[in-house]
Amino acid sequence: MKVLLVDDSGTMRTIQRRCLAKLGIEDVAEAEDGQQALQLFEAAAFDLVMTDWNMPHMDGLTLLQEIRKRNKQIPVIMITTEAERARVVTAIQHGVSDYLVKPFTPDGLKEKLERWTTTRV
Amino acid sequence: MVSAAPTLTPSSVAITISEYINPVVSATRSVFEMMLGCVPTRRGLTLKDENAVMYEVSAVIGISGRVRGTLVVGLSCHSACEVLHRMVGTVVTEANNEVCDAVGELTNMIAGAAKAQLAKYELSLSLPNVVTGTSHRLHFPSETAPFVLTFDSDIGTFHIEVAFHEV
Repeated sequence: MKVLLVDDSGTMRTIQRRCLAKLGIEDVAEAEDGQQALQLFEAAAFDLVMTDWNMPHMDGLTLLQEIRKRNKQIPVIMITTEAERARVVTAIQHGVSDYLVKPFTPDGLKEKLERWTTTRV
Repeated sequence: MVSAAPTLTPSSVAITISEYINPVVSATRSVFEMMLGCVPTRRGLTLKDENAVMYEVSAVIGISGRVRGTLVVGLSCHSACEVLHRMVGTVVTEANNEVCDAVGELTNMIAGAAKAQLAKYELSLSLPNVVTGTSHRLHFPSETAPFVLTFDSDIGTFHIEVAFHEV
């Protein structure tokens, strides 16, 4: 399984990458913003995208829209501080597969990722 | 940008505390508990004045929407390094880029969690900016009346400065 991990915070990418490693997923590409992520997405085949919302250059919602223009099936999980109902609804309307609000516990992240990775590793 | 704080009436202070400050306090507790494994205790709430506390690391987030504001998390270098340590296990003694990233993300989560409780104001947050340097002090625009929240925690004492004003 190949995962594209997108967050402008290196700290958050480290936390999420370690959680993926615990689930046996080591093939992870990292991007610091939506623009960089889209370049990686177009250059390789991924099985899962995990993205932050608020990032410089291209935000996660725009990235989600760009991904959905290219691939309607790939799971995209938004992991973000945007917790308001209206934001979640917007993400769903644009085709997000799952949503996790920061802050999260290690178990909360693991549980969320297990849903999208255990049958696909 | 140094200027006298605007005059506040007791009623306006009460509205500010209940409307804006309490969500920040509960957001801070929640983020610290989940991301750092400790629950901070609020020790004080004061209006910021010229004797304000100075910091070694501070993260600043701008807030816009139906109200505007600024939220600052101010820490000692030791506490900032402990934030990184507790989030990813890395041990450092200087406020390097990794420490700034961790403190910025922590602040982003605090502001985001508070924003969720203030949904009726339709707020947006800026990306966090992190300032380092021995004993620096942050100054707010003159039309604001910043509050300083002081917390004790397992990573040391830290402060949150927050100010909102009507658009």
